[in-house]
Amino acid sequence: MKPKTNLDYVVLYARALRENNKLFEQQKKLIEAQLIGSKSLFRKMFGSGEKFKIGARKYLRGRGLIK
Amino acid sequence: MIKKGYILEGDVIVVDRDWTELDEFVKDFLGILKDYSDYLIVSGFVSIATGRTRGTEDVDILVPVMDENKFRDLFSELSKKDFWCYQGDEVDEVYGYLQRIENIRFARKNEMFPNIEFIPINKNRKAKYFEFTHSQRIKIKDFEFKIPPIEFEILYKEIILAGDKDIADARHLREFFADILSKEKFKEYEPIIREELK
Repeated sequence: MKPKTNLDYVVLYARALRENNKLFEQQKKLIEAQLIGSKSLFRKMFGSGEKFKIGARKYLRGRGLIK
Repeated sequence: MIKKGYILEGDVIVVDRDWTELDEFVKDFLGILKDYSDYLIVSGFVSIATGRTRGTEDVDILVPVMDENKFRDLFSELSKKDFWCYQGDEVDEVYGYLQRIENIRFARKNEMFPNIEFIPINKNRKAKYFEFTHSQRIKIKDFEFKIPPIEFEILYKEIILAGDKDIADARHLREFFADILSKEKFKEYEPIIREELK
């Protein structure tokens, strides 16, 4: 199957992963890169401790994620 | 030597990979929660834990509504172990969400994402209660946790959630677990899930 759509790639990757667990190494890198980026961004935005919570809650209210 | 992505050990799915930071976050949270309540991990983390390569902000966990004293102890323990709750620092205020069957979220202190979406359930939430009482065990190294039956998770994503991300997650699960999926289970679960649309 020659992949054409995003879903085709999802299927192709899942099939390859089922047969070869080495591909999990790439997945780990991608997931951790996202987490590191997110941590760094929000630390810069809101600092730490109580200041972080106040800033974060204000941001979350703005996005409608909390009341 | 090439090794498969997962194997079955009895009725436990064993995914053959190293932990990610996301796994460690979930493991730490469950390490506390399990002392106070049963649980079920659902949705995106099920797909990601089994190889779907995409980012996520939250990990959805179903938890039966617990009494206030037990929640008070859980909340205090989470706070001691460096988690904070989006909805508030006062347990009385946060418990009100659970009484109203509204979700709450926890993240590590000084972090926003990833977070645990703590989803209170009771018997009135029939599809959720069904998957909660029919869990599948899955293991990554020695981190074992409970997820819905894979067939249930696939159908829930295809029928109820049905966004692009959910359809892609479902396709991933269908392909990755192609060797073990059961047609009979799909048939059994579909009407239960469709009930949720009514």
